[in-house]
Amino acid sequence: MPDTAPQPRVLLTKSFIDSHDRAIATIALALRDAAMEVVLIDYEQPEDVVTVALQEDVDIIGLSFMSGGQVETTQKIVAELQRREVPDLPVVVGGVIRPFDVAPLEAVGVREIFRGGAPLTDVVATFDRLARAYRSHV
Amino acid sequence: MTGTRAGSDAASLLKAVRDRDPLAIARAITAIENRTAVGTELAVAVRGRASRCRTLGVTGPPGAGKSSLINALLPELLPRYRRVAILTVDPSSPISGGAVLGDRVRMAAHSANPDVFIRSLAARGHLGGVTRTTRSVMDLLAAADMDLVIVETVGTGQSEVEVANLTDVKIVVCAPGLGDEMQAMKAGVLEIADLLVVNKADLPDAARTATHLTAMLHHRGHEERRSMLSVSTQTRDGLKALGDAIDDRFAGLPAGPPDAAAGGGISRSTLAQDVADAAAALLLGTSDPRLTTIVEHMSQGKLSRHEGAKAALELLTDLDGPSEARIYS
Repeated sequence: MPDTAPQPRVLLTKSFIDSHDRAIATIALALRDAAMEVVLIDYEQPEDVVTVALQEDVDIIGLSFMSGGQVETTQKIVAELQRREVPDLPVVVGGVIRPFDVAPLEAVGVREIFRGGAPLTDVVATFDRLARAYRSHV
Repeated sequence: MTGTRAGSDAASLLKAVRDRDPLAIARAITAIENRTAVGTELAVAVRGRASRCRTLGVTGPPGAGKSSLINALLPELLPRYRRVAILTVDPSSPISGGAVLGDRVRMAAHSANPDVFIRSLAARGHLGGVTRTTRSVMDLLAAADMDLVIVETVGTGQSEVEVANLTDVKIVVCAPGLGDEMQAMKAGVLEIADLLVVNKADLPDAARTATHLTAMLHHRGHEERRSMLSVSTQTRDGLKALGDAIDDRFAGLPAGPPDAAAGGGISRSTLAQDVADAAAALLLGTSDPRLTTIVEHMSQGKLSRHEGAKAALELLTDLDGPSEARIYS
C-alpha cells in the first residue's frame, strides 16, 4: 500500500527476562493490521525503552507485564521520559495488572491499562487516539 | 519538549542533527520518510554525504541472520568506527500498510550505547529491499557525524539489489541449506556482494553451502572481486576476520566522497524508479473516472495489461499538469 498518509508509530516492549510473549505479539499484529508501524524490543534496563523510543520517534509506548515489575519499571520509564524531556509521550500498560497496581500506575500518568480480555478494537482505538493526539502537538 | 527545543523547521532541526541530538535525528528521519515539506528540505540540505562516513549494506534472505550478524559484528566495528548508525528495513503489510519492525530485538545489547543509533524503517510498498528515501536518511546520518552507517535490507529474494547503489561495501548473508550450485550460479543478489558470508557456520550444512559459493567464485578466476567467509554468531567464529575484511574493503575505496564520481549515485535507472513511484502515487490518488474505465476494460479483457498501462501513462500527463519550462533551462 504505497503512499498512504503516515500512520502512528508504536513501541511495544517487555522485559527480556519475561518469556510470555503471546500477549505482546497479539497486540502487535492487531496494531499492524490497523496500519500502524510497530517496533518491538525486549528491554534489559527500563531506561533503554526511552532511548529506543527516541531513536524510533514513536508516538506511544506500550508496556507488557506478565510477571513482575509493573509499578517499579513503569515509574523508572516515566522518570526517564521526563529526564530526556519527552514527558508527554503517552505510556499505556497491559497484561497482568493487579488491583493494587492501578493507583500507583495512574499516579505516574499511565494513560490506559489493558487487562486480559480487553476487546482488541478498544485497544487499537486507544493506541490510535493517543498516538495521533501526541503527534499533532509535537 | 525536545521537539520544541530542537525546533520543527528544517534549519533548526538540521542544526540539532549536526549537534547529534538523538531526538532531532529521529524526527528528521520521520520527516524525510513521510516526505513532508520539512523532510524534503532536509533531504536537499544533506545531499551528498561527507566522505568520512562509510556505508555498509547487509542483505540476504529472510532468516539468514542479518540482524544477529550485525549485532554480533558491532563489538568488532565499534572500536574502528566510533559512531555507528544502523537502518533496518522490514516489509510493510500489503493488506493494511502497517508493519511489525522486529530487527532490533536482536540488537537489544546495544540499546544503551550512546555511540549506536538504530532506526527501524518500514518499506511502505517500495520494492528493492530498502525504503524510497533510504539514501536521504543515510545522508542525514552522515550529517549527524556518524562514522559508519549500516543498512540492513528487507529479507530479500533473488533480485532485491537496490542496496548496491546505496552503500560502499555490500555483505550478502547466506544461510546454510538454502540451495545448491544452481542457486549459486544464478544472476541477482549474489552478484552485488563484496563479501559473501555463510552465517550459522555451526550448523552441519554450512560447509556444503560454503563449497557451492566458493566453486561459483572460482568460475571467474582472477577477475573475481568477491570473497567468501564463514561466520557463526553463536560461537563468534569468523567475526574478527569479517571485521578485518570489511576494513580492507573500505581501505580499497577511492578517496573522497563515494558518490562524487557517479553524480551522487543518480542515474537513469534511479530516475526510472522515481518516475514509477510518482506515477503510482498519482494513479492511486486520483478519482479521475477515465482511470476506472481503463481498469474495467482491462479486467474485461478489452485491453491487455500493456495497453492499459500505456493508456494510464497518457492519462498521467493530464493529471500532473503542464511541466514548467524552468526544468529544462
